[in-house]
Amino acid sequence: MIESIEQVPHGATLQADVCIVGSGAAGVSMALALMGKGLKVLLMEGGKAEDDAAHQALYEGEVADERMHSPTDKYRQRRLGGSTAIWGGRCMPFDPIDFEARPWVPHSGWPISHADLAPYFPQANHYLEAGVYEYDAARAFPPGTPPMFKGFDSAVVRTSGLERFSCPTNMGTRYRDRIRVAPDITMMLEANCVGLRLREDGRWLERADFATLSGKRFSVKARAVVLATGGLETPRLLLASNDVQRNGIGNAHDVVGRYYMCHIAGNVGTLTVNKPLADVYHGYHVSPDGVYCRRRLHLSEQAQRELQVGNMVARLHFPKIIDPSHRNGVLSGLYLARHFISYEYGKRLRDGNQGGLALELRHIWNVMTHPFDATGFVTHWLRKRTFAERKFPSIILKNKNNRFSLEVHAEQIPRADSRVTLTDQKDALGMPKIKVDWRYSPEDILTVSRTLRAIDAELQRTGVGRFDFDEAALEEDLLRFGAYGGHHVGTARMGADPRTSVVDANAAIHDVHNLYIASSAVFPTSSQANPTLTIVAQALRLVDHLRKELQI
Amino acid sequence: MKVMVLGGRGFVGRRVVNQLQARDGVTVVSASRSAGAEGVAVDSRNEADMARALQGMDVVVNCVTGDGATISEGARALVNAALKSGKPRIVHLSTMSVYGSQEGLITEDAPLVDDLGWYGHAKIEAEGHMQRYASEGGEVVILRPGVIIGPDSDPWVRRFVRWLQAGRLGDLGPLGDGPANLVDVEDVGQAVEKAVSLSMDETCPVIFNLVAPDSPRWIDYFRDLALATKSPALRRWSKGRLTIEAYLIGAPLKILERMAARFGMRNLEPPEGIPPSLTKSWRQHIAIDASRASITLGISWTPYKETLKTCTNKAFYRRC
Repeated sequence: MIESIEQVPHGATLQADVCIVGSGAAGVSMALALMGKGLKVLLMEGGKAEDDAAHQALYEGEVADERMHSPTDKYRQRRLGGSTAIWGGRCMPFDPIDFEARPWVPHSGWPISHADLAPYFPQANHYLEAGVYEYDAARAFPPGTPPMFKGFDSAVVRTSGLERFSCPTNMGTRYRDRIRVAPDITMMLEANCVGLRLREDGRWLERADFATLSGKRFSVKARAVVLATGGLETPRLLLASNDVQRNGIGNAHDVVGRYYMCHIAGNVGTLTVNKPLADVYHGYHVSPDGVYCRRRLHLSEQAQRELQVGNMVARLHFPKIIDPSHRNGVLSGLYLARHFISYEYGKRLRDGNQGGLALELRHIWNVMTHPFDATGFVTHWLRKRTFAERKFPSIILKNKNNRFSLEVHAEQIPRADSRVTLTDQKDALGMPKIKVDWRYSPEDILTVSRTLRAIDAELQRTGVGRFDFDEAALEEDLLRFGAYGGHHVGTARMGADPRTSVVDANAAIHDVHNLYIASSAVFPTSSQANPTLTIVAQALRLVDHLRKELQI
Repeated sequence: MKVMVLGGRGFVGRRVVNQLQARDGVTVVSASRSAGAEGVAVDSRNEADMARALQGMDVVVNCVTGDGATISEGARALVNAALKSGKPRIVHLSTMSVYGSQEGLITEDAPLVDDLGWYGHAKIEAEGHMQRYASEGGEVVILRPGVIIGPDSDPWVRRFVRWLQAGRLGDLGPLGDGPANLVDVEDVGQAVEKAVSLSMDETCPVIFNLVAPDSPRWIDYFRDLALATKSPALRRWSKGRLTIEAYLIGAPLKILERMAARFGMRNLEPPEGIPPSLTKSWRQHIAIDASRASITLGISWTPYKETLKTCTNKAFYRRC
């Protein structure tokens, strides 16, 4: 059912078996999986069905260093579907090594293994509309599908690992009809969680408090409450709910909001292939079930152990857009159009070095001298992305000279001093705003440089080509735009020891029996992978746990 | 026990005859419009004809289909004839279409809603005749199957494969998210076979929904069919694309097809259009609950994967 908030009287207390806070990837997936299971479920979304400025403003906050982290109301959405309303759709599961305690990665190790999550990945993939759960190119495609590089056979660097792309699916609008007809699920919009009230002994959640922007307040009493509010809002709610536990819920040991991670990302160096153009495949494949897929360069787990690096992937990319020496009409066109691209996707074009009018003119020259590049690209983009329901995921240019840059996406080491805290400022509902102080470590840059050198060594060993990059400029290349936006990880980490973690292996807050978290907030480490698929898998595992716990 | 199967040469009737013949102590008489190698000819709309045929029968299974009049008038004639011929038990094949445009989880107690066009209308009328038979002391079992599929199903298997192979069906996302309510034709045969000898008390008629418990949603069915028949990769369709296919292409093609039939233009075989009413059913969130059939009839449902395999057997889809 979808119930209007108008129907709820001010001061009411609603009852449910399970109350899910947030209708994003995690919350909607849980609601879908709980349908028909004999439990009464409330799915509470703070925002409206569409983007709404007043609700989005509730996400405003501070960042310690604006060059290092985007504003807190960007890359996330308070509305039906949550941040899946604007996500890019890239899916891949976390790797087995991500769950291990790796001596060379401080604070690594999950209390669960990859095998514990494995049963939930196929369903997660299905909900996110990323097609069949198959992430190995050898099995995902029919025989004869071209490899990344012909003749590249390496046990150190894998190129058969895939990323698969969701439409990208907005989980809210996609599954709204299923929720509408489900008698056991009640979804409410404009219901903002503003507090979690523990019983006096601090061991049970008594109720969750909600408020609307119009001034209505009401509560929910549920046998289990799940925070599915993302990696920034989750610590905010825990820290702000400090009436019984003075440091906030689950924060007896000052862990909530700490170990905040994003990804280290950027375009680096020049990869040169010594083979005919036809021996390189750098673009997307369409799987037999119609999903865009792409190969990546990925260090084997064995090699990661030997090199003592974090997890990282690299994709074949075009040269840096803002540098006009690429003489590519399409890239220059994108540079010139940067002000028309949304904040989230245009950030890396707009920020950074400003070249002024001279730079602008050189890009205009590129467009004028390569008119067919640009028109061909625009036609393809309009047809396959703008007007397509399943979006072509990113810009792929024709390979004209066998030269690429590498687009890096790397794990960072968890750090206690990289954190989300509350400020004295309040939002329109009286909730304290957050401050984000994101930090990274020298080891993160080392992960990238060692991995890139291993890629170079394997390209040279196999005679396929080489990869050159400026080691001295690497840190600047990777951090020019700060933390990779949108991946908010680790702020309520999962662990066996309450002194160093916030939730247990079942995502329940340590010592609070009926409060759970379904979010990348619980991931102790960040992997090479984009988090959404694993967020959904974790949420589905939590559904199984709740069904056992609530004895249905 | 003597059982007559009306429509015994049809898609469902054939299975029913086979399953009943496999049982000891059952004599099966297959009845159709025209007599075949085995079986008898009965005009299902002719009451006197029917009454003669029903003499000595313990059970009659109504698998007759056709246009609205055949369905509805046939049921009336059957009930009237049965009342005169010793009141054999009637096992009547109805349909989930009697639930109309309702959504949500639908059990046998849901009301009948006549808003889906001629077929649902005729089937509701037919059920009305069965209710009359029950109120006059006859034993009636009504089976309400969902979408019956089998390898020789043209409307629900081969037609879809033709559309998929021609790239005329896409991944519909939310527009195809309704449950498909599929049921294997063999399972329908099994249900009839069990209904024939179901022990019945006074509550009559007994009604059973028939839908495989693991039946997929329409989009999943399309994707599975496409993969199994190596059709082109499904493209994601927008609402606009589907509207064009259904209203601008589907509807005129249907008119062309009718005209071709009307004027006997045999050579003119227009490609089959996707009827707008069909596209609407793909987004109808109706989930037919068949747990009563599972429990009371004890049906062992064919797993969806197996049904799909039988339906997409190469020999069949090549002929599509």
